[in-house]
This record gives sequence, C-alpha cells and structure tokens, in this order.
Amino acid sequence: MAQAHVANPAPTVDARTAGQRLVNQWLAHVHTAHERGQPVAYIFVMGNAVEILRSFGFELVFPEINSLQTGVRKMAPDFLAKAEDYGFSPDVCSYVKADVGLMLSDMQHPSGTRIPKPDIAIASSLCNVYIKWAEIWERHFGTPAFVLDIPGKRFATWRPLPGTAQYDADTRWVEGQLRDLIAQCERITGTKFDPDRLAEVESNVNEMIRLWVEILQLNQRRPAPYNSMLDGLTYIGVLNAWRGTPEGVEYMRLLRDEVAGKLARGEGRVAEERFRLIFSGTPCYVNMRRLVELFESHGGVFAASDYLTYAAGGLDSSGLFYDPSRPLESLAEVTTLASQLGLSNHFFSHQTLAQQVKEYGADGIVYHGIKSCRTVATSMADNREYVTSRYGLPTLYIESDLIDPRYWSDAQIKNRVDAFFEVLEQRALVKGGD
Amino acid sequence: MLYVAGVDVGSTQAKAVVLDDEGRMVGEAILDVEMNMGTAAQQVFEKVVANANLTPDEIAFTVATGYGRYRVTFGDLQVTEISCHARGATAEFPRTRTVLDIGGQDTKAIRIGEAGEVVDFAMNDKCAAGTGRFLGAASFALELPLSELGPLALKATAPVKITTTCTVFAESEIIGHLAKGHRPEDVLAGMHYSIATRCASLVRRVGLTPEITFTGGVSRNAAMVSLLHKVLDTPLNVSAQGHFMGAIGAALYALDHARAGTRHAAALAEEVAP
Repeated sequence: MAQAHVANPAPTVDARTAGQRLVNQWLAHVHTAHERGQPVAYIFVMGNAVEILRSFGFELVFPEINSLQTGVRKMAPDFLAKAEDYGFSPDVCSYVKADVGLMLSDMQHPSGTRIPKPDIAIASSLCNVYIKWAEIWERHFGTPAFVLDIPGKRFATWRPLPGTAQYDADTRWVEGQLRDLIAQCERITGTKFDPDRLAEVESNVNEMIRLWVEILQLNQRRPAPYNSMLDGLTYIGVLNAWRGTPEGVEYMRLLRDEVAGKLARGEGRVAEERFRLIFSGTPCYVNMRRLVELFESHGGVFAASDYLTYAAGGLDSSGLFYDPSRPLESLAEVTTLASQLGLSNHFFSHQTLAQQVKEYGADGIVYHGIKSCRTVATSMADNREYVTSRYGLPTLYIESDLIDPRYWSDAQIKNRVDAFFEVLEQRALVKGGD
Repeated sequence: MLYVAGVDVGSTQAKAVVLDDEGRMVGEAILDVEMNMGTAAQQVFEKVVANANLTPDEIAFTVATGYGRYRVTFGDLQVTEISCHARGATAEFPRTRTVLDIGGQDTKAIRIGEAGEVVDFAMNDKCAAGTGRFLGAASFALELPLSELGPLALKATAPVKITTTCTVFAESEIIGHLAKGHRPEDVLAGMHYSIATRCASLVRRVGLTPEITFTGGVSRNAAMVSLLHKVLDTPLNVSAQGHFMGAIGAALYALDHARAGTRHAAALAEEVAP
C-alpha cells in the first residue's frame, strides 16, 4: 500500500537552529544529569577519550566551553574577578580563572545551567594547564581526576609514524592507560565495559568526521559559504558536545547539505569576497563577532582556520578514522596520532598551514596570540617566519585574549586590521603590475 | 596650482602638511592633542592651510592618518599610519627597505618591498614600553623638556641599566637611580638604551633589511639615533621632517588621488544627497 501523502511537511530546519537546539538540549541534559542518576565527566576538548565515556553513558561537561560561554555571553569579567579576588594572578589562563569563578559561584553558569560536580575528570598532556586545572577540581569537588599521558610531542624534528617500534610503544602506552580508565569507569558506573557500544560510538564519530572533512573542503571553493571563525565556532561546539552520537551525525549531514546548497547557489559569507584568509590560533570569544566584522568590512573572509582543522579530540580533518572492528586499539592509535599533529605540537603546524594556503587559495594568514596563554602563541613566530619567507604571504599578528575583554583594544586592533588590508591591496597591485 | 593636505592625528600630537602639485612641502603645522581629537584635527588643518598662505577651499584632496584618522571629518580618505610612514620614508629615501617609526604610544617596524609597497609590519602590543611615552615618563621625572633629553643623554659616561619595561614604573625607577646618586645623563642614557633595544627587537621581527629609515617624533632625538645605529649595527636615514613623515605620506596619497581626479568626499556626498 502506498504511503499516505503528507500534506503539510514539517519545515526544514536550518543548521543554525538545529545547532542551537542541540546545544540547549545538551545543557539541559547536563543540568539534570545527577537527578536522572547519570554519571558526569569533565573533559577537555583535546585528548579526552570521549568515546569511552560516551560508551559508559556519561553526561559530558566541557569546562573550556563553560568558560568560553561566559565570554560569548559578556559575563566573563564577573567570573574572572571572582578568581582574581580569590588570589589568582591576571596572567593565569582566563579559561581556568572563569572556571574557578564558576566554582566560587556555586557552579551557576550564565547559560542558566547549574553545572553538576564531576564523577570523574579526564585531563591529558596535550595542554600543560589541563593537569593543574584537573587537580583543582580534584581538590574542590573531592572527585577523581584521570590523567591521560599522550606522548604526542617527542622531538622537534621527528615524530614516530605507524610501522616504527616507537609508534608501537607509544600506542601500547596509551592503550594501557585507556584500559585503566575503563576500569575506573566500571567502578564509578557499576556497569561493565561494552566494546560493541564503543565500536558504535566510534562508527558515529567516523561518520561525523567524514562529513566534517567535507564541510571544511567545501569552503575551499569561492565564494566561501561560511566564515570559519564565526559560523565555524558554532559548528565545532556541536561537534564537541554531540561527538559519537546519532544526533551529531544528523546535524553534520544537515550542515553539509546546507553548506553545499549555499555553494551551489553562489551564496558567499560576504557580499563581495575580496580576500581569502586563514586564521591561526584560538578565538577571542569575547569579541569574535567584532573581529570578524572588521575583516569582513574589507571583504576578507576566514575561509579556513587551524582551530577548525584541529577541532575536537586533537585532529579531525586529516582523515584519521577509527577501526570499529578493534575499537580500543584503534582509539589508542588515533589518539596518539592526533595528538602528535594537534595544536600542542608546534613543530609541525606550519606544514599543515602551508598546505591550507594552497588548498584554500589564501591571500594571507592572521595569527591571534592569547595574552593569558603564552604556550599557544609560542610557535607563531617560527610559523610566521616560515610562511612569509617561503611563500611571501602577508601575515598579521594580533593579540587579545580568549575571554578577558581587558586585553581587547578596539582602536589598536582596527588599526592593525586596516593596515593589513592596505598591505593586501598593495600586494595585489604590485602582483597585478608584474 | 594644485594643493593637497596630509593630516596625521596621533595619540599625543596632530601634524599636518600641505604639498603642491610637484610634491613640495609648502606648509606644516603641529599641535598637541588634548581632549578632542576632532578639534585638534580641525585646528591643525586650519593652521597648516594658513601657514601655506592658502584657504581650505584651495586644498584639492586631504588624506587623514594616525589613530584619530576617523575623527578628521573633513578628510577625503583615511589611510593607516603604517602605509603613510612607509610612503613618506620611501619618497625621501627611495632605497628604504625598513622603516622604524617611534611615536607617542606606538612603535612600528615596517618592511618595504622592491616597489615601495608595505610587505610586513610589527607594532608594540598592549604596552607602551619602547615608545615616545617612555621618554615622556623620563621628562616628567627629571622635570626636563623632551627636546633636552637626547642632548643630555649623549653626555653620559656611566649609563645605568633600566630594568623595568613598564612606562609607569619607569618613573619610580628613575627617581630611585637619582636617589642613589646617579647623574641624570646616565639615567637618561639608560632609558634611551632600553627603548632602543625594544625597538631593535621589533625591527628584527620584520627582518632588518637596509636601508633603514627612522621616522616619527623621536627621530629628532640624537641620542636615540646614535643608540639605534649601535644596537642595529647599521646607520639610519633620518629626515629633517621625520616628525611629519606620516602626514607627508598621507599628503602623497592625497596627491595621487588629486592627480587622478578623485573627487572630494564632501563634493560626492553633496551630489548623492537627495
């Protein structure tokens, strides 16, 4: 029998609405996790073994996202002040300080969510602040912190690749730790580890990453359908919060279709795309809209960014996929490889950047240094020197912070951005005259 | 005869020049910027036009530069001081490949390409150490006018080492050194050295390529010129008009537009007005 005709099909939901819905849904789940008897894990966006936690049914809290959200919602100063009044130096990572401010505010987040305390926190060696931060939770909440030691950064000139004895040793080292984590999760949840469930989560991640790579590649075409440092930040939020879930896969598919549709219709992010740029570094969440506006007023669009390239879990755009037929071993391998190439490894990021310059047809690169994180800016000098001397590509270095508005000077930033576009214009004239 | 103006409204001073159609300077003016950048811009423009024995109507095109460039409501176009200093420096010293501009609160190192275009630039960020403001702190602490700092520093025999990089704390460090019995010229030499090393670092960041041209108000300071020569190990071009280099560059951009027949922004606005 033929299916009944649907007279009034539900209107198609756009990716922005769907993304917002998913973020709200995730926050609501977090808010009620303990009431529903669901365990809670605090995790970072890089090197977090989220697939294992997801397989055990943990509700996931990303303290970095909590902190950046205080910036997006223009509430960061209140939380930063609480931490500084308590005695934290203004130089300490503003994400950490906003989180300490949250702890001192009885975990009442400006989103309206009361963040539950963790049953376990996972820190990794991918950022040197993560471990100290997790120790604060351990002391504050009296709950365990698990440190995942990922040997991503081994030498400045060489990294162990598959097929080498060092790589085998590294992955075994990570796998052993994942087994310890599983044992700890079993104790906390009272449930036995289910490798099939892990494989299912990994299959979902694989599909999300496949679509994510496609979405990133669609922005290689002109005009770029989205700005990787504005629209892209919403995309990556959903990618993190719903990683490994059917909802996450569905969202990525919707997003891919939407971006492809814009491309097919020739709808660019900016009305007249004049310069295609790459953004390197972490965003200034408190002023990102303003920063993007400064660039877009000159017809400059961030077609790509290493923030989206390295995305969740370390590196999601390089074609690293799980093998769900051997879920745990595969998780160890991908985690190790992703970490080697992730943001923490500043000795190789220039190669990825140089590749992106070609793929995205970039006219310039913008580096954003973070005042409260010197680590993330350490590689920028070398990186800049490389792309400038090797490719003669104009670059701009600007500095502010992740969420601390005290480090944002609008006149200074505007001056630099205006001058950068004058450089791009002059370069185009000189090249045109050759 | 065609005349154009360049107005450079900086953080501490507003400078303006008028050029004729041969690019010769026929007027210059300078004023301290106080509360209102827009007023300072208007006043310095009126002054430079008067100094050139002209009326504002005779100025065919005006380019504004400096932090206050958007406050120059009578300007036809805004160009950043990075491009303007580069333009001014290469006009006077065509072999310039690096420009160092030390201004009131900004120091800029600019790399110039073969065609005279800006290739790269670096500026001080979030901190006024290594800028003219650092000398302002010394001027205040020593109760000496800015113009006397350089000549006095050149008389130093045992320069002290200034350790602070904070412009605010520099003042108390100066007072501390004086209290310990150091001579003002030795303290001043230390201050100059501190600025020179920070500026040299900025220059190296864009890649020091001779010739290097030193612009901005601090280029009038002989001690700074001498110390920069020493720390960069290369001589620096210094123009007698170095203080006006931003305004000169702006006026040269104005001349391009005037020659190309670009219309006044005000005239265009009148035309499109309903």
